[in-house]
Amino acid sequence: MDAAATLPRGRGGVRRPGPARRALAAVGGAALLAAAVLASLVLGGRETGLGDLAGVLAGTADPYVATVIESRYPRTALAVAAGAALAVAGTLMQAITRNPLAEPGLLGINMGAAAAIVTGTAFLGLRGGTASVWLALPGAVAAGLLVYALGAAGARSGLVRLVLTGAVVSAVLSAYIQAVTLSLPESFDSYRYWVVGSLAGRDFGVLWSMLPFTLAGCLLAVLLAPALNALALGDEAAVSVGVNVPLVRGGGLIAATLLSAAATAAVGPIAFVGLAVPHIVRAVVGADLRAQIWYGLLAGPVLLLAADVIGRVVVRPQELMVGVVAAFAGAPVLLYAVRRTKEGM
Amino acid sequence: MSAPARTARTAAPPLLRLGGAVALPVRPRPALLGLALLAGLAVASVLTLTVGRLGIPLAELPAALAGTADPQAAFVLERLRGPRLAVAVGAGFALGTAGALFQSVARNPLGSPDVIGVGAGAGAGAALFGLLLPGILPGPAGAVLGGAAAALLVYLATGTGFRDPGKLIIAGIGVAAMSTAFTHYVVYVVARDRASVLQAYLNGSLSARSWEHALTIGVALALLLPCAAALSTRMAIAEMGDDIADGLGARPRATRAWAVALSVALSAAAVAVAGPIAFIALTAPNIAKRLSGGHGAHAFTGGLTGALLLVLADIAAQHSPIGDRLPVGVFTMGIGGVYLGYLLVREWRKGAL
Repeated sequence: MDAAATLPRGRGGVRRPGPARRALAAVGGAALLAAAVLASLVLGGRETGLGDLAGVLAGTADPYVATVIESRYPRTALAVAAGAALAVAGTLMQAITRNPLAEPGLLGINMGAAAAIVTGTAFLGLRGGTASVWLALPGAVAAGLLVYALGAAGARSGLVRLVLTGAVVSAVLSAYIQAVTLSLPESFDSYRYWVVGSLAGRDFGVLWSMLPFTLAGCLLAVLLAPALNALALGDEAAVSVGVNVPLVRGGGLIAATLLSAAATAAVGPIAFVGLAVPHIVRAVVGADLRAQIWYGLLAGPVLLLAADVIGRVVVRPQELMVGVVAAFAGAPVLLYAVRRTKEGM
Repeated sequence: MSAPARTARTAAPPLLRLGGAVALPVRPRPALLGLALLAGLAVASVLTLTVGRLGIPLAELPAALAGTADPQAAFVLERLRGPRLAVAVGAGFALGTAGALFQSVARNPLGSPDVIGVGAGAGAGAALFGLLLPGILPGPAGAVLGGAAAALLVYLATGTGFRDPGKLIIAGIGVAAMSTAFTHYVVYVVARDRASVLQAYLNGSLSARSWEHALTIGVALALLLPCAAALSTRMAIAEMGDDIADGLGARPRATRAWAVALSVALSAAAVAVAGPIAFIALTAPNIAKRLSGGHGAHAFTGGLTGALLLVLADIAAQHSPIGDRLPVGVFTMGIGGVYLGYLLVREWRKGAL
């Protein structure tokens, strides 16, 4: 129950990578991101090559090929935005809770989004991708704020309490979702297509509706990063260097809520990107949150794009949803990490 | 989170002597609690059998139990409500005991076999054998296989078996995430009606149970509960911490591994007959612990509480005005969530969290 006891010590916590290593990581990350974007544009159910892509960009390609490749623009852009949002949200959550396992889902955000979508389709008759986003966003934010209000109210607010509140709100919302979806088949249909987590069939409308929240959340994260660094030393130490702890923690949680609400609303609940990216980034650039957030903005999109491309290629001409691939790619990494940690963590 | 103040009162408990050879310590409060829970369970069972349009009138119940009632009452007792009640009691007891064992091992009131992915694995197994590859295995057998496979994967992934609760829970998160993703995928690709049936099963359902289900869970309990009882003394010692337990010869790591294995087996048995029912394994031991006000694994009182909770939830599921025959798991999830909330608010009032 002692959150501080699970803070990863030693690895990454002590070592300070030099500027050369960071520059190398930045160049490597950018190259990986470019490669992932290219792969996302040319790989898929209908095979196309880099030459086709060049042709489309120059306007000389066959109209059919052009349609195929242009149809991949929105999902690629959405993967970049959602990956970045999830990565930064995960980084913030892990820093604020001082728990390397923290994930935005802990705040009840996924369930809030799902409950709102189910309510909208069951009782308001709403349909379609963009409608889902506009339903899921307020639902996710409301659930996150509710958890925060209940969990952090009163004089003795604690992180354990916050996480427990998240579990409670998630459970009650989940019961509601099951009750509605099992009674009303139409809402079950839209729910099961959303909950699997997919980038397919999303248009730019979805991107535009989630982008403002993503940008706001990222901006807030960048602004809060120095104060969060101080918070990592413990509440007393942070107060002693002049940090307003409740304000910073609250701001960070609001940013994490906005970010993961935006991503979840747009592509459905995606496991492990928010959990894994901070670990990868910490291993490369060290514990400084200012660096972690910037590098997370590179690593998150790379991971989500890679999962999406793999899902498109492995069962061609069908597709595996990105949520499924992310879980099956991310879980073994987590298991491997567990295996390597020392006993009695 | 514990209440160390209570340990001051450690006068020797009164002994229940059976001849000269057996002397069992009797702790009054857990014993009273056990009796009260049994009484509650009896009342809830009578309610299950008598309430509602098809219920057997209370006056006819003794005759029906003796097998001399009219055919309609006999049909309700033998085919409809009787097996359902027996399965609810058995599965609830198994889940409550499983949760009590696991929470004692994890030293965490939020632990339950579901945390290590047994429920999610069972769901994936049911999805695989029920919908994706129908005809090889029946769905419930697939569920047990899935739950066992998830537990095995967790066991192998930690590298230290079931000894380290921290690793166990993290590996469980990973395995549960994979299982859930797979289930969501199956629900996504198959037709809506079949997906809806699976979804109902995944919540845990007690509708249309037969005496075979009751027999299954009964045999499982008869095999597993003696093991749990044999382990309970050592587990109480292991809760004192590894150093003390080592000194007392309780072999805490091996004890923990056995307790987790038993806990998994018990919840797999419950899954086999009723599907993965949420929250009973989590809430029942907490309630039992709160009521009895003591330490230790509370395997027996936790089991009774679990049985009572599941029977009550099933009464709600059978007679609820909302929804059309919702599976009992929806109710346990809702009730469990609200109870957890109440628990938290209470702790906050006391300032314990």
